[in-house]
Amino acid sequence: MALRLKTFALRAGSILLLILFWWAASRLMHDPDVLPGPMAILRTIATDLSTPGPEGKSAFFHIGITLARIFVAFFAAMLMGTGLGLAMGLSRICERSLLAVIPLMLTMPTILMVFLAVLWFGFSEAGGLVAVMAVVTPYVTVNIYEGAKAMDNSLAAMAITFKARRPLLVRKVYLPQLMPYIFSAFRFAFGMTWKIVALAETFGLKYGIGYMFFFWFEQFNMTQVLAWVIMFVVLMLILEHVVFAQLESRAFAWRHSLAR
Amino acid sequence: MPPETTAQAVLGPTAGAGAAVPPAIAVNTLTKRFLAPDGGYEFTVLDRVSLTVEEGQFVSLVGPSGCGKSTLLNIIAGIERYDEGSVALAAPSGRAEAEPRIGYVFQSPRLLNWLTVQQNLEFVLEAQDIPRPRWRSLVAEYLDRVGLGGQERNYPLNLSGGMQQRVAIARALAIEPDILLMDEPFSHLDAITARKMRFDLVEILQRAKPTILFVTHDLSEAVFLSDHIYMMRTKPARIFRHVPVDIPRPRKPEDAMIFDLEKVLIREFFSVLEAKE
Amino acid sequence: MRIRPIVSRILPGAVTFAIGICVWQIISLFFVPVYFPGPGVLADRMIAIYSNPASYVVVGETLSRIFEGFAIAMLTGTAAGLLMGRNREIEIFFDSWIMVLLSFPAVCWAFLSVLWFGLSQAAPVLTIVLIVFPFVVMNIWEGTKAMEKDLIEMGRVYKADHALMLRKVLIPQLMPYIFSSLRIALSLSWKIALVAEAFGVASGVGQKLIYWFQDTRVDMMLAWGVSFMIVMVAIDVLGFRWWARRAFAWRHHFAT
Repeated sequence: MALRLKTFALRAGSILLLILFWWAASRLMHDPDVLPGPMAILRTIATDLSTPGPEGKSAFFHIGITLARIFVAFFAAMLMGTGLGLAMGLSRICERSLLAVIPLMLTMPTILMVFLAVLWFGFSEAGGLVAVMAVVTPYVTVNIYEGAKAMDNSLAAMAITFKARRPLLVRKVYLPQLMPYIFSAFRFAFGMTWKIVALAETFGLKYGIGYMFFFWFEQFNMTQVLAWVIMFVVLMLILEHVVFAQLESRAFAWRHSLAR
Repeated sequence: MPPETTAQAVLGPTAGAGAAVPPAIAVNTLTKRFLAPDGGYEFTVLDRVSLTVEEGQFVSLVGPSGCGKSTLLNIIAGIERYDEGSVALAAPSGRAEAEPRIGYVFQSPRLLNWLTVQQNLEFVLEAQDIPRPRWRSLVAEYLDRVGLGGQERNYPLNLSGGMQQRVAIARALAIEPDILLMDEPFSHLDAITARKMRFDLVEILQRAKPTILFVTHDLSEAVFLSDHIYMMRTKPARIFRHVPVDIPRPRKPEDAMIFDLEKVLIREFFSVLEAKE
Repeated sequence: MRIRPIVSRILPGAVTFAIGICVWQIISLFFVPVYFPGPGVLADRMIAIYSNPASYVVVGETLSRIFEGFAIAMLTGTAAGLLMGRNREIEIFFDSWIMVLLSFPAVCWAFLSVLWFGLSQAAPVLTIVLIVFPFVVMNIWEGTKAMEKDLIEMGRVYKADHALMLRKVLIPQLMPYIFSSLRIALSLSWKIALVAEAFGVASGVGQKLIYWFQDTRVDMMLAWGVSFMIVMVAIDVLGFRWWARRAFAWRHHFAT
């Protein structure tokens, strides 16, 4: 109990200190074009959220668009990566041929991928989707492939001696063993997706949070850039540490049920 | 760790009240409690434990696993705190330094696998501030004594478990300790290797003669090696018996006297265990 | 005897690679080279780029930024990770800072550092440091947690002082984590460097990429990107793997 209180106090203290640093720095600089203080940013965020911005689009509109892009790209990349990873684990030909391509994809600089996707598929939703998938899918594939490799063969052998059919085998034996890998891929892929969506939005796509970064950046409006960055970061922190943490603890309930 | 609760800090004035030569190790009504990490219940690992080891003696501490023997060694070595009682260590009479030098042989070898055998020994020599010119001869001498002459440049992972434990023993001896703490050093070895190591230990100790506190759960090992045996029990974690071993040396493990004493001691253990039930 | 396994290991990869090149060449025949260059065209463009000495200056500039950012992030990240791993209070206090840092997209830092420092050398370096630092911290922190308590205890029993402990007990145990951080940090650094240069400064490989991007010249863009990629992979393979093999010799060392 006392320990938990101390942890909480330390955490709260650290965040307060961070804000205090920021505030002190902005006071010292004394120039809102260089570093606006926390209050100024908070005010800007409030007005951005309550009044329509440039082109008559509200902040919620941009946030909604970015979130939609993130989720579509993320699920597409997860599906494709999981499929490819499993295929690599199950078939020799897939394994060999993909192993030649994947390192190449992994070393390809993100910005080159984004540029390529935009040039080939246009400044469109399709271009953005291809860019994100091209970057994220190889990471997911590698992760799932590793999981497939690490699968406990004796369990499958056990199921086969009991004459389990293939669908049952996949559902009850393979998938549960893959779950930790799928989840770690999930987290990792999510973290990457939102950053690449932001990148793609700044370069090629119309609307969205990244688009707004660039919009205000071109006008050298420091306060607005910071306000949008902070909105973005807070949104992602909430998604990752609240929403995903919940999902994860539910998916792995079987691990803890014994301890309770 | 606040220094006032480590073993080294209680040295000096309190030690050796009355006696001409203070005992090398004097543990007095030592109590140690663990707090469960979530702050819940308390658990007494050592309950008013007292024992004395005179200079140059070989003393064994015997008890079932989980009775707090290793914790006691750690407290004496100064790496764990305790709650009540006292621990006093004394350097041998006629030595200028007040603090005795402590060697420790753990249950597992605990070697630094990225260093060669020689560098592993040099690590403790450096830690103990032993002058560099002496390193060479010390390393050679003690590796030779544990039968590992010529292995200086080898890496620990290339050695068998028994050889690794020999390196650990050489490491403990190389600092020429006044007190040698040994925590079930042979329990991870196979029976034949362990037997050979016991003989070798007796042989090695003929020349270097440190004070030894030896922890084991193996009664015949304790009887074969020791001058005195302290027997420990769990719940409460206490020492319940002190037995001097008056069997003349050199001893043989199949000595009838050793068997007899072992039988007596085992019977005592069982009676204590049953009394608890 | 030893040649066969090597052949059987390399051959399938080489075959797929060759097939890939052929397929790529065939597909490229259906497009304009400016839009979808084949391997031949790409090689041609690279030769054109690197026969101009000014190109080496461009690559050199980017490399110097990468190594500056990489070195700063590695040093500060390792120190911070060690501190966080060894001290519970520091860990709890700073882990939320690391989480916040981790969720900043590179573009944000690129913009902010340009707004703060202008189009200077400091802007891309700062961007690299701010992105790479939290990754290094996380990795080293994990490594510190995974260290063997037994060996640390052994060091304490024999009264090893802090310096000796760090040199002989802690750092060697951290080495695998330091190496994996080095590799992650390097691959992140150069990807971020390109992003930062594309926005922040009017020089370097990143600037070339965005220049040809705006000119919709896929061939030139790929020629710059791929050639730089080859340089970085070479540094990774030749530098780090060779060094790692030497540093971990004790794992494979056998008495002769």
